[in-house]
Amino acid sequence: MSEEKKTREKILDVKNLDITFETTAGKVHAIRGVNIDLYQGETVAIVGESGSGKSVTMRAAMGILAKNAVVNSGEIIYRYRDNVGGIDYNPENDASAQWKEADILKMDKKWIRKHINGRRIAMVFQDPMTSLDPTMTIGKQIMEGMIWHYKIDKKDAYDRAVNLLKEVGIEDAEKRMKQYPHQLSGGMRQRVVIAIALSCNPDLLICDEPTTALDVNIQAKILELIKKVQKERDIAVIYITHDLGVVAKVADYVNVMYAGKIVEVGNINEIFYEPKHPYTWGLLSAMPDLGTDDDRLYTIPGSPPNLLHEKEGDAFAPRNAYALEIDDKLEPPMFQISETHWAATWLLDPRAPKVEMPKELKARIERMKKEAQANDSKL
Amino acid sequence: MTANYNAEPLLEVKGLKQYFPISKTYTVKAVDDVSFKVYPGETYGLVGESGSGKSTIGRSIIRLYDPTEGTINFCGMDISGKMSKDVKEKLRIQMQMIFQDPMASLNPRKKIKDIIGEALDVHKFYNSKEERDHRVEAILEKVGLAKEHADRYPHQFSGGQRQRVGIARALILNPKLVIADECISALDVSIQAQVVNLMKDIQAELGTAYLFIAHDLSMVKYISDRIGVLHLGHLLETGTTDEIFSNPIHPYTKSLLSAIPIPNPELEKNREAINYDYKTSGIDYTKGTEHLVDGSHYVKCTDEEFAAWTK
Repeated sequence: MSEEKKTREKILDVKNLDITFETTAGKVHAIRGVNIDLYQGETVAIVGESGSGKSVTMRAAMGILAKNAVVNSGEIIYRYRDNVGGIDYNPENDASAQWKEADILKMDKKWIRKHINGRRIAMVFQDPMTSLDPTMTIGKQIMEGMIWHYKIDKKDAYDRAVNLLKEVGIEDAEKRMKQYPHQLSGGMRQRVVIAIALSCNPDLLICDEPTTALDVNIQAKILELIKKVQKERDIAVIYITHDLGVVAKVADYVNVMYAGKIVEVGNINEIFYEPKHPYTWGLLSAMPDLGTDDDRLYTIPGSPPNLLHEKEGDAFAPRNAYALEIDDKLEPPMFQISETHWAATWLLDPRAPKVEMPKELKARIERMKKEAQANDSKL
Repeated sequence: MTANYNAEPLLEVKGLKQYFPISKTYTVKAVDDVSFKVYPGETYGLVGESGSGKSTIGRSIIRLYDPTEGTINFCGMDISGKMSKDVKEKLRIQMQMIFQDPMASLNPRKKIKDIIGEALDVHKFYNSKEERDHRVEAILEKVGLAKEHADRYPHQFSGGQRQRVGIARALILNPKLVIADECISALDVSIQAQVVNLMKDIQAELGTAYLFIAHDLSMVKYISDRIGVLHLGHLLETGTTDEIFSNPIHPYTKSLLSAIPIPNPELEKNREAINYDYKTSGIDYTKGTEHLVDGSHYVKCTDEEFAAWTK
């Protein structure tokens, strides 16, 4: 992966993002210094519990934060090449295409709407019934973005929409064009949402819990579909999810978020086989495991913090069985473990006592590795 | 494991049908000829995709719906037809329900102690106010809340705590059977694990049986002793958790199991879900009959299908 990375361009760079929300109850410090970078064609997952700030970060990247949000500091640099040739233009084939940079936080809403939303960054939301317009036909909703962004004529947009529906695996595409969202099943609706997201040839697709509302077998199909179009069109995908099973299936890199901070980041194997942060340990252990007959599930004690009341030191300390004294006083910085693997926990400080991950988790990881090996040799 | 399989079944559902007439010519067959048993102290998991009829079964059993056909036997009483006042009273005490969304199922204008104590009021289960308060406090403690919480309102709790209140309300009358309808799917992963563990602890202590309705198979595996797989209103396969997971027979069960994402990236990369489409599979659920695989493992299919699948 790392050799490949050098030839690929960075398209999104979130630097030290810090956001508070002004609410009637007081200031909620939702994002506390988040850094994320993303390269072309890569899949990054952001994992965390509800309220950890994963959706807020991505909304900031799309310039669609709620009105009461205040950005205290940070930059969201989006790198792109100007589209000079209309909807079919592919800058990859144009040697004269220049890379440009824009800080989304500094741009006005109009500019973002014209250049970013839907056109370069598209989003797939959790519940397709709320993200589709119930009063508009499927066809019209798919055509809308293309006509608005690229000023193509209706006939052309119609043909493209039919092709998109076929691409996302919907049969009888022409009949579906005339139908309304309520006439489709949940899985179909999510396919339509994906077709809309792809309609303007985006560079980046943000999927905010795209399969949480769906059944497992439909979830599997939707994930395979997103993977397929990503490969064919070479677009980057950011997954926001709390399901580590989904992450294991799709991601190249994983960011683990807790209380508005990224506490661990690494490539997929580092996070699943060599996790370093106690919160990641907890998340992995709390996943039900189909391979054992254990009677009890591991749980992370307590519940996620209320960001209305900030605490000194590490936000995870009260729930952390491995917390050190310093955790209550000073927030841990990011410690580097490998070229791609970082974690924010004092346990990695050279002065800290040596602490291993819980032995149940260790045994489970060993077993997972063996299963993977056994599977490899079978293939 | 607290289940007692030698005892008479606590709940016995036989040939349950639940139809909803939409118009003169069109009837939705939400549940079609479903039979299963739940033993005292056992957890029976009902799994299936949305629209498979799993919630409808729960609601028919607790008599929020009037079953179209079939019998439901609970604690030796027939509760499927018109019930006598006495039977109704017993049913309302011995069977309780936990709902999916704790925010929607707790009255926002009532204090926790009144939400939980309401069942005591209805059934006149106490002699003095002190006794009522005492019982509410005891149950709060059992579900991991403090007695200070009794005077608060639902909005003052987090999602996991609210679901604990939902559990406390279901348990206050010491029921024999609790129907848990998707009771953890609205919660975060780490909180889900807490609630599942709590339910297990309570079962070990009180011997309550659970009918656990869910679509998340991996959680169902953790909590259930036996599982029933539903699709389109038919109970396709039932057996112990081990039988279902290690030896699934029905193609639908196989596809369902293959679709669960496993948190093991190296393995998951090469895994693909088995496709299953009822329309093109050539299987007709209405023609199937129950076939015994072994032990308590049954599959609903025709003789030819059974021969082909178990080959």
